[in-house]
Order: sequence, then C-alpha cells, then structure tokens
Amino acid sequence: MKNILFFLVAVGVLGLISCKDDDETTYGTLTINVKAVYDGEPLSTFSTYDFDNGEDIQFSLISLMLSDIDLLNQAAGTPISDIALADMSFDNLTAAEKGFTIKSMNIKTGSYTGIRFGIGVKPDINAMKPADFPSTNPLSNTSYYWIPWSSYIFSKTEGLLDTLGTGLFDLPFALHTGSDGLYVELEGGLPIVIESQKDTQLDIIVDYKDLLSSIPIKHNPLNHNPEDLATITALVNNYATSIYLAQ
Amino acid sequence: MGFRHFKFGLTLIGFALLVACQDTITDPIDPADDLRDIPYHPISYIPNIPFGFPSLEQPADNPMTIDGIRLGRKLFFDPILSIDSTISCSSCHLPELSFADGLAFSQGVNGTTARGSMSIINVGFHNNRFFWDGRAATLEDQAHMPVEDPIEMGELWENVVLKLKSHSTYPEDFRKAFGIERKTEINKDLATKAIAQFERSVISGGTTKYDRFIKGEIFLEEDEYNGYLMFFDFDPTIPDAECGHCHNAPLFAAEDFFNNGLQASADLLGFADPGLGKVTGNISDNGKFKAPTLRNAEYTAPYMHNGSFQTLEEIIEHYNSGGLNSPNKSPLIRPLHLTPSQKSDLLAFLLTLSDSTIHTNPEYQSPF
Repeated sequence: MKNILFFLVAVGVLGLISCKDDDETTYGTLTINVKAVYDGEPLSTFSTYDFDNGEDIQFSLISLMLSDIDLLNQAAGTPISDIALADMSFDNLTAAEKGFTIKSMNIKTGSYTGIRFGIGVKPDINAMKPADFPSTNPLSNTSYYWIPWSSYIFSKTEGLLDTLGTGLFDLPFALHTGSDGLYVELEGGLPIVIESQKDTQLDIIVDYKDLLSSIPIKHNPLNHNPEDLATITALVNNYATSIYLAQ
Repeated sequence: MGFRHFKFGLTLIGFALLVACQDTITDPIDPADDLRDIPYHPISYIPNIPFGFPSLEQPADNPMTIDGIRLGRKLFFDPILSIDSTISCSSCHLPELSFADGLAFSQGVNGTTARGSMSIINVGFHNNRFFWDGRAATLEDQAHMPVEDPIEMGELWENVVLKLKSHSTYPEDFRKAFGIERKTEINKDLATKAIAQFERSVISGGTTKYDRFIKGEIFLEEDEYNGYLMFFDFDPTIPDAECGHCHNAPLFAAEDFFNNGLQASADLLGFADPGLGKVTGNISDNGKFKAPTLRNAEYTAPYMHNGSFQTLEEIIEHYNSGGLNSPNKSPLIRPLHLTPSQKSDLLAFLLTLSDSTIHTNPEYQSPF
C-alpha cells in the first residue's frame, strides 16, 4: 500500500514538473479596433462633415480590406490575421467609437515594436476569385471583386457630397480601390506589450478627412474606368498620412 | 452504528443505480413508435457544381444525402405544412417558373403576403441572410419561418409535427433520411433540415449561353456581347450599366443588401418598407433588400421585392433613370443615359442567363 502511495506521489510530482515546463511559453490576446474618424472625431455614417470649399460630405459605406496583419518584433513578424474586411460603416457614434474588431488569441507574450498590414491583397491572392474561397473568408464576397480589373476591391469609400452647400446632398460618390498596382503595405511603430492571459487593445485609425485630402470627388465621383486610376491612386497615396496607430 | 447506516445507504444507492441502468438498457420501444426495422443507409449526395461556381457548403449537422433530399422535396411540395392543407413551399416557388410564382405579392392561407417570392435557384451557394430582408440567418432558419407566418401557412410547427408523425409514409422517410429510431423523434428541426437539403440541390448553371461563352464554347451575338461589356463595365468607351456590382458572376447575385432606388424618401426613416433595417435595427439599412440572382430572370417576372416591374425592359428603364432618391440609395444607381440600342443590348445579355431545363428537370418536380 505504502509503495503504491509513493508511486502515485512520484507520478504526480513528475506531472507537475512537466506541466511547469509547458507553461514557460505564455500567451495573451490582441484586439485590433479599426476606427474611422473625420478630422479626429469619430465618423458615423450619414452625419455631415465639412469637406472642401464650403462643400459638405456624408459617408454611407467605408471599408478596408486588410491582409497579412503581423505584429512586429524588430524584423520578425507574428501573424495576427490573414484577411479581414474592416467595415467601419456605423450609423451610431457608440459603434463608430468602438470600430471594427479583429481579435487574435494565443499570441506569445512579450514586447513588440509595431504592426504591419496590407491594404488589399498581394498579387498571388488577387489572381484568385471569390469562388475559390469558402464563405467564411471575406475574399468569397463577390461585392468586393471587380471583374473588369480582375481584382478584388481593396477599399470602398461611398457617400454623398453637398456641392452647393445648400443641405441637399446632390452628388453620390463611390471611390473603390483595387488592382495589383494599388496594393500597399503599411508598417507602424508602436510599443505593444502582450501579457499573459490579458487582452491588449490596439487601434488602427483612418482619418477620412486626410484620406480624401485633394481628391477631386466633385469631378470624378465614380472611378470604374480601368484606364483612369488617377483618382484612386491619389487616395491610396494618402494612406500613409491618414492612417495611424493608437492604444 | 454510523458506519452501519453508511453501508446501508451505499447499498441502497447501488441498488437504485442498478434499477435505473436496467431501465435505460431495456426500455422497450412501443411497436407503434418503432422504426428500427426500416433500413437506414445514408448515401451522400454529390452535387454537380457548374463551371466557375463556388463550392456548395453544407452545414456539419445537415450534410446532404439522397434520402434527405428526397424527404425535403416531398415536404417542399406537400401542403401538409399549412393549416388548411392548401399551401406548400412550392405554391410560391414553382419549378416551371424557375421557383418563383409569377405574382407581385405571394398568396398565403390568409391572403396576400407583403412581398413577392424570390427564386430559390442556386440558393445553396448563399451563406448570408435569407429572404428579401435578411431575417433568416441560415437556409434551415428560412425553411422554418413560413409555416408559422400567419399569412403564409398559418400553422404551428407542433401541429405539423403531429401530422408528420401520424402520416402513413413520412415516419419511414424520416428514418431513411436521418436514422431516427422512433416516430416521436420527428421534429421541426429535422423537417427544416430536409427542406434545406432539397433547396440546396436546386442548382442552375453551366449550360446557359453565358456559361458556354465563358467556357469558350461559343461566341455571343453582337448585341449580347455589347450588353455583356456594359453589364460588367469592360469597355470605358461605352456606358457602364453598373449591373455587375450587385449581380456579380457567377451567381449574378450578392450576399449583400442594397437600396436600389425603388422607394423615395427624404430621410432614412421614411421608407414604406424598411427591409433589412427592420431586421438589423440600423437606420442606415432601411430601404435595403437582398440582390437576387439574375439567372433565369427571363422567367421570374414580376420583379423586385414588391413586384414593381412586369418586364425586364421596365427594370432596365428603372436603372437607366437612376431610380428614386433617398439618402442611402446606392451611389451606383444613377442616370445611365443608355440609348434604346444599348438598352436592347443589355436585355439581350440578360437573356443569355436563361436555363429553361430547370423547369422540367425531374429531380425538381413534385413527387405527388
């Protein structure tokens, strides 16, 4: 009987030791909130904002396709999400302030130096079609694929412009970006600490006033001409100055 | 003394457990309820997926089987689901009309419903919100709702289940489809699963003029080809008809919801039929409806959720006009300035999406 007891205790101690070994790697959670603001204030759809030259603007649909989101530790990346369609179209401020959430579990604890992500998808993925993906993947959404470009739509910015400042929003606009040449990768530096069994929050903020800075919406409210990408190229070039990180 | 009581207690518990176990093991099934003599050999259904289509996803708890689809088809065509046995699913989704019903507003047991019926062809390839207003999350949920809708079928599921349990053939069908052992296991979830299986099997594509063109088997006529270019905005030198945004290939439908200018409203609260907004509670969704498939649109008149248009020509005219204004009308619904010839070309292209074989396909006909 005593022998059995000793054996059981020994097994228990061994088990405990081996568990301790496994537990040396600890994990936490990262929650990324993709938020839209306008001139620094939370942006809600169908609210009115000052645009250029006395014109007012309202937004109805604002979204970004984010790909290959990696947490950075020096040059090395820790994958967070392959693909997310961040739809920031919220018609109430509470939801707009919260933003579109991307949650990633089981990230190794430690200090990270920043984050990297693509807006759009890389050419190898862009060569595929919605039918190639299961319905759970945002890339299966045919509303985000534009056949004449043979490309996914990387972002949508839609709304109305009050061109006369009369309160009548007379000009609908739809700026959709896409095509291999307009895929961009952004990298932002910000100390991010992932702690064991804790949730770390990180905001990716898009300021649409800056994003639409010097975009001639009035003269080019729709941009589906595959041979005229000037407007959306200008918009894509504004990403670097209109998207920033915060905690 | 205390130990003796403890021993007695343990013996009592042991005996009670033994009795309980015996009950479980030997619980006899009432012969009138017993279905175990009927063979249960489920055979997976392998759908024939048209060229370019996505895969047909099936819920893990409702894989398609030959007998599941057979039962679903029977239920789909059987008015037993309605309170007075006059209305079946097929009353509003007739195979000969590409699974629509030819009415602006469908008829139920208690009069006229608020919307027209959508064709269910290729519905299995959809995975996001069903009905015009998206009120059903899954196809199984969708199949569940019309029975208890007071206008559509006006019946309670508990009554339907009673009718199915006491039916002369349905218990055997449920046994073959789902392997149940007793009639009492028949329930609404199994019934709606079977209906959803049948609906997923209704597939159309691969043989239309458009499909054959895409596969490189044929050329389109000049007018059809011009329409194709405008539909998808391939050629910047001719107008973009803006169709492909909401009716993208290969399904010519979308998982999303749009305000396509059918209702005028000065603000987001003024829509007579709020559509998706009533379901989500978001005012910016008011006036939005699901974009249905344009495959077989030739046969599914009248069109839109409210049967606004009798012909495809009227639809083209609607979009050419830019529709009625409201704040959240899609910015892509705008005056197109198409010439009569261009409108005619667009119509010619829409007709290349027709597949009349589905009307007579024996797999989709009533088993009664």
